[in-house]
Amino acid sequence: METLHHIVYGFGVALTPQNLAFVFLGVLIGTVIGMLPGLGPMSAIALMIPIAFTLDPASAIIMLAGVYYGAIFGGSTSSILLNAPGVAGTVATSFDGYPLARRGQAGKALSVAAVASFAGGTVGVIGLMLVAPTLSALTVSFGPAEYFALMVLGLTAVVSLSGVDLTKGLISATVGVMIALVGIDSQTATLRFTFGSSELYEGVEFLIVALGVFALAEVFVMVTRRGAPAPDATVTSLRLSRRELRTIGGPTARGSVLGFFTGVLPGAGATVASFLSYAMEKRVARDGKTFGEGNIKGVAAPESANNGAAVGSFVPLMTLGVPGSGTTAILLGALLVLGVQPGPLMLDERPEIFWGLIASMYIGNLVLLILNLPLIPLFARVLRTPQALLLPLIVVFCVVGVYGQSFGVFDLWLLVGFGLLGFLMRTNGFPAAPLILGLILGGLMERSMRQALLISSGDFTVFVTKPISATLLALAALSLLAPLVGVWRRRRARALRGAAERAHDGARPGDARTGGTAGTTEEPGAGREPREGGNG
Amino acid sequence: MTRPRIRVAALAVASASALLLTACAGTGEAAAGDGWQPDKPIEYIAPANTGGGWDTLARTSARVLEENDVINRPMRVVNKPGGGGAIGWAHVAGKEGDPHTLFVTSPPILLVPLAGESDFDHTDFTPIARLAGEPLAYLVRADSPLTTFADLVEEVRDDPGSLSVAGGSGPGSMDHVGLAGAVQAGGADPSTVRYVPFDGGGEAMTALLGGHVQAAVSGASEARALVASGDLRVLAISGDERVGTLPDTETLGEQGIDYVFEIWRGVMGAPGMTEEQVAYYEDAFAEMTELDAWKQETEKLGWVHDFAGSAEFGEFLDGQYEELSGILTDIGLKK
Repeated sequence: METLHHIVYGFGVALTPQNLAFVFLGVLIGTVIGMLPGLGPMSAIALMIPIAFTLDPASAIIMLAGVYYGAIFGGSTSSILLNAPGVAGTVATSFDGYPLARRGQAGKALSVAAVASFAGGTVGVIGLMLVAPTLSALTVSFGPAEYFALMVLGLTAVVSLSGVDLTKGLISATVGVMIALVGIDSQTATLRFTFGSSELYEGVEFLIVALGVFALAEVFVMVTRRGAPAPDATVTSLRLSRRELRTIGGPTARGSVLGFFTGVLPGAGATVASFLSYAMEKRVARDGKTFGEGNIKGVAAPESANNGAAVGSFVPLMTLGVPGSGTTAILLGALLVLGVQPGPLMLDERPEIFWGLIASMYIGNLVLLILNLPLIPLFARVLRTPQALLLPLIVVFCVVGVYGQSFGVFDLWLLVGFGLLGFLMRTNGFPAAPLILGLILGGLMERSMRQALLISSGDFTVFVTKPISATLLALAALSLLAPLVGVWRRRRARALRGAAERAHDGARPGDARTGGTAGTTEEPGAGREPREGGNG
Repeated sequence: MTRPRIRVAALAVASASALLLTACAGTGEAAAGDGWQPDKPIEYIAPANTGGGWDTLARTSARVLEENDVINRPMRVVNKPGGGGAIGWAHVAGKEGDPHTLFVTSPPILLVPLAGESDFDHTDFTPIARLAGEPLAYLVRADSPLTTFADLVEEVRDDPGSLSVAGGSGPGSMDHVGLAGAVQAGGADPSTVRYVPFDGGGEAMTALLGGHVQAAVSGASEARALVASGDLRVLAISGDERVGTLPDTETLGEQGIDYVFEIWRGVMGAPGMTEEQVAYYEDAFAEMTELDAWKQETEKLGWVHDFAGSAEFGEFLDGQYEELSGILTDIGLKK
């Protein structure tokens, strides 16, 4: 009852003409900047801060938050159309979004992304509304050991992201983890793999790698494959059939919830959330095999999760005054300058900001949906640009995006380097997704493991004696066991069937007993199985 | 809705009257007249990404300087992130004699070179002014048995393995050095403190809240929300006097531990600037720190007024360099 009262109060704040205008302005600018590859919510918010400082605190935070979730919302567009992630959180969206676009279903992919983003954002807002104050307990329950276990669970997704060849997927993931190690070691301040170059002290920026191995590599592939049939430039109807809506219902619902809770954890954020959700859906789905080839579930899962996470990240910010990411750190700074101190007391001291923000997010998500849906045919037309124009355009976007972050030429060389790496991986059948996964999770996994061991004086049992960590590790073990069991059962079934067939062919029909001795006759066949098992 | 509005009105009245006062006090320093003046926009470098402490310092001071016409040319804030500052410093170091390049700075200009991670240190640049400072806060959970910093030192001395302290910066950086120095001054071996580095003071405090560590170090203003709510308690702050953000908290000195650590913030310029050029900027920043707009903004950020001109700032840096060098050697992180 009290919550209802607060919500009504919040809408009272958010629905003033002034604040409505700022929600609109925020999400509009956010979604546009989010679409540009490389330029993420941080650049967008930094751009808007001078305007924010002239407003009253509630309007300012309403606008800046709109920029943030608007950027995550818009980031999917270039992931889908150009394979160039607009923001880090939408990298996973390109896995299925881009193949869909290549198949002439860009409109559908963009619609799915918009609907899933809306759902994720809305579920997040409802979560924020109902449970934010109690959720700070979850935030603080995650210490180093728990983060390590969560990252391990996330890394098991390599198995499902690897595609046909698990070995190559694992190699790819290992390279990703190795890239995460570059820079000043967070625990001992030792320089690792920097080769004397101070540009590498802070490590390799995630988006440079993502733009390189996805967008630039794709450009290289297209250039070298000249003469190959151009992608289907037709834009099919963007309307989703009832069946399609039902198809994405499950992934979207699960992704939204998973995303929200992941966002609540400082340090995890939208990127980790989108990968976890994608990997989970791939495993759950009956048609999981078609993930990566253009399955709309593979668009819905990460998109709902990253938007849920963007909203979830407001929980630590608003209830503890602790920023969970670079973006929320800027928001915190802006709030401080405006004279608002987020934290446990904010709910009582500045209710108009807390509840006004929540209500504005609700409106903002609706605005984003209304704003984005009609524009989809327009965006999708990008694909009709002749390749001779489109390819240089993608390169320009990547270069501007990377340069705009650091204003350093060194990063551009890195971009080219990762583009070449991605190209070589593509032409040799190494999947890029596990590399990105290893890069995202590897750094945080290593850091939390060493923090946990530092605290426990090197005692490894901390990971299994803490309940949350133990549960997560058990889930990780289970998720690796399940495919193994599947492989084993399939192998057994096939062995039995093969033996039966062979017996059937070679011997007289009807001699059923030969099947019983299949185990011995099938040995050579069994040796061939594991590779095929990897397909599943 | 009425409460905030009243507060805004009060603020407006306060600022208006303060403005009047400064208008009377300021005897037109801006019209320096005959000395050197910049003749093109000033490149004002924050050697870090948007959103961090340096970026905030650069943008806040640039805005106050411009809006109050303290400076006659625009201040263009440029972010040069990378290498914990080293990239930005290398950039400025290459601009020998250029009077139109300044950068914002704080203890990492001493600590990063000491760790062997920058080719340039503070002696390669022209000190302009120290503007503000902020102490560290040594935090525990509200239910902790520790009540003063001396209790923490005792715990470290008696049972070196029992206490983990989280901090928001890397090993050998501000939070670590500020902790180790205080522990040493308190009479325990600083290398036995188990410092656990996190990514930012926020994450360190979250780890403390969840009971994953027994204490934490962060900037005093970062801690104020969780202290005000009663979730965390401050053992002491590292400044030489109490601060407005945590008015009830004792300093280390009050608890009998002779140690001061300040996260000072200042401005430096390219190497080889002339005396007139230094004097121009020194005056401009001196005037800025007296402005009401500056005082209001820094108060909200929790920074304490701590101005020093070029010469004093230079000596201060040399002294700090020696002191920090000693502590880093004791905890085995000096390269």
